[in-house]
Amino acid sequence: MSDNHADLIVLGAGPGGYACAFRAADLGRKTVMVDPRATLGGVCLNVGCIPSKALLHAAEVIREAHHINDWGISTGKVSVDLDKLRAKKDGIVGHLTTGLTGLAKRRKVQTIRGTAQFTGDNSLDIDGESWTFDQAVIAVGSAPVRLPGWPEDDRIWDSTDALELREIPKRLAIVGGGIIGLEMATIYAALGSNVTVIEFMDQVAPGADAEAVAVLHAALEAEGVTIHTGTKVAQVKATKPALTLTCEGGFEGSIKADAAIQAVGRRSNGSLVAPEAAGVKMDDRGIIHVDASCRTNVETIFAIGDVTGNPMLAHRATHQGHIAAEVASGHAAALDTDLIPSVAYTNPELAWAGLTEAQAKDQGLAHKTASFPWAASGRNLASGGGDGLTKLVYCPNTHRLLGASIVGRNAGELLAECVLAMEMGGRLEDIALTVHAHPTLSETIAFSAERALGTLTDL
Amino acid sequence: MSDIIAPPSVRARALEKGIDIEKLAKDLGRTTIALEDLEAGKPAAGPAGDTSYWDVDHSQYGPVTEEPMSRFAQVAAANLGAANALIPQVTHHDRADVTAIEALRKDLKPEAQARGVKLTALAFQAKALARALREFPRFNASLSPDGKTLTLKDYVHIGIAVDTAHGLMVPVIRDVDRKGLWQIAAEIADLAGRAQNRKVGPDEMGGASMTITNLGGIGGIGFTPIVNPPELAILGLTRTETVTVWEGDTPRPVPMVPLDLSYDHRVINGADAARFVSYLAGLIADPRRIMV
Repeated sequence: MSDNHADLIVLGAGPGGYACAFRAADLGRKTVMVDPRATLGGVCLNVGCIPSKALLHAAEVIREAHHINDWGISTGKVSVDLDKLRAKKDGIVGHLTTGLTGLAKRRKVQTIRGTAQFTGDNSLDIDGESWTFDQAVIAVGSAPVRLPGWPEDDRIWDSTDALELREIPKRLAIVGGGIIGLEMATIYAALGSNVTVIEFMDQVAPGADAEAVAVLHAALEAEGVTIHTGTKVAQVKATKPALTLTCEGGFEGSIKADAAIQAVGRRSNGSLVAPEAAGVKMDDRGIIHVDASCRTNVETIFAIGDVTGNPMLAHRATHQGHIAAEVASGHAAALDTDLIPSVAYTNPELAWAGLTEAQAKDQGLAHKTASFPWAASGRNLASGGGDGLTKLVYCPNTHRLLGASIVGRNAGELLAECVLAMEMGGRLEDIALTVHAHPTLSETIAFSAERALGTLTDL
Repeated sequence: MSDIIAPPSVRARALEKGIDIEKLAKDLGRTTIALEDLEAGKPAAGPAGDTSYWDVDHSQYGPVTEEPMSRFAQVAAANLGAANALIPQVTHHDRADVTAIEALRKDLKPEAQARGVKLTALAFQAKALARALREFPRFNASLSPDGKTLTLKDYVHIGIAVDTAHGLMVPVIRDVDRKGLWQIAAEIADLAGRAQNRKVGPDEMGGASMTITNLGGIGGIGFTPIVNPPELAILGLTRTETVTVWEGDTPRPVPMVPLDLSYDHRVINGADAARFVSYLAGLIADPRRIMV
């Protein structure tokens, strides 16, 4: 046996990996965490959720400055110092990653900077050093999908490049109108880019409720974002003056851009750790399939987060991380839910969980919907909020809440109430009879429930 | 989403305790499961009752001592409580002439001694009951939990309630209808003996067509046993007594065994129970009829 031995080794220090390593350490395990990045936190903290939220906050302030004119407050022309903005964003990321390093130290989790690859079912290679382990957790996440057939060009970005904030392109094309694409559109439109979003499906934010998406779609267009749905990029040409995207489908024609962001999804990084060397099965998309207890087909090896497939979301990874640590330490635990909330931090925000109306219909489930338009919300209007919608899907027989879609300011925060209600098996009556403070945006959830029950007096 | 409502904390706890929430809900006949439902480890017997009657400080009336109910006794108590709460039970009383059986046992005594098997009256009664169950197939059946389906059994296994030092046990003799008296008697003796030492395997209990509970060796003139679910009925026996039977003007002393059949009235009605017990009494009175 080599001198390098880990009781439990976690590959990847993203939100899943560090949650797993910390939980395992809290359960008394001697834990090692390996990640090729200089800082902990993975994509989420370094080049994902957190930096994008910092830039979205800046975008929000710029937008507010424009809109506050209506209120008799003028700020003059808003100017952006890109270097300062970038430094602020990097400062926030730095603060958080440093904090994580502290948390790891306090728990005596050994962190190694390096790239790990399996060499057997209880051995690893970390940058040339051999390690053995009793148990391992694969938490190496995902990377942006690169579209085939595109030329090599510095003006073609993925989400990581876009968050580096190199420049504000005059004309920005975003290919992919999912959550990441729409957040980038929100940021760069506010910073002054002329943004065009090209989405292959019939709506942006595919999978979200069509009615809620329509509100977001209209708001983005009102901010100057051009959206082409049902459209495919057939060809991309890079010439000195511009990138030219030739489109087919809903929009036929070419789009000239000074930069283009590829935001068509993410691909599991499973193959990077050579799981086959340990006998861990992986499908042809690099996804390592696990059960509810995050076990792979090899008893001593677990996998969590994006590497285990969709939905590739940090909060799912975190929960899986805790479960893997607990199960590996002899406890009984499982991710016993399919209620994983989705949030687009756009302006307005779009958030949903559980079943959408379309999904309920497709699954042939008895369902009804009840919604409340934010144009009737005092709190929304009084705080300068734009259009918004709260929409609940429920079972007409039991009144159980089956799903919720919210579009509007702070939708991501508001959604938590609906997710909790669903986890508790809550009924419309539970929501309607819970006293919600007035005036708040959370009232729109209670109002929707009241509307379904026929007890609403605010419409 | 599951049809069973249980908060995340309850689902996590159930997982820790190895409790299947869906099954527990089914057992309890409910669609919601709360934390309290997991604490018992086993569904509470029948509808939740008011237990405050037992919440008494007995020492205020005189000296008392306490002893814990064993795990074994608690399980038996829960089963009996559930059976009594969930089954509308009626007990039918009759008696059977055992003159012929006693004569036969006397005749076979030398052979019994030679074989080393005690040919008990209980073996005859089990054999007669098996025959009666073949004749009345609706007594050899079980109801589904929702009460919508009756499962009829094409086998005859007889449970024998055994009084042991640690509590009541019910080992089961398989295929009594296809076995001879010597074998039945031997198996009853073997299982009852092993039950005393808690050496009865789980596969030697359960699956009975009907249970016999025999107090004949102790006494009594009748009692009302509680049906052992999922069986539909239970046969109670007490001490054989010589009674006077009048044949015309002539009194005749006849040894009679009291028969007490408690049954699930949801499936068996009183007239059928009377016919069943009457038929059984006929078989006991004339064991030759068991053969034909």
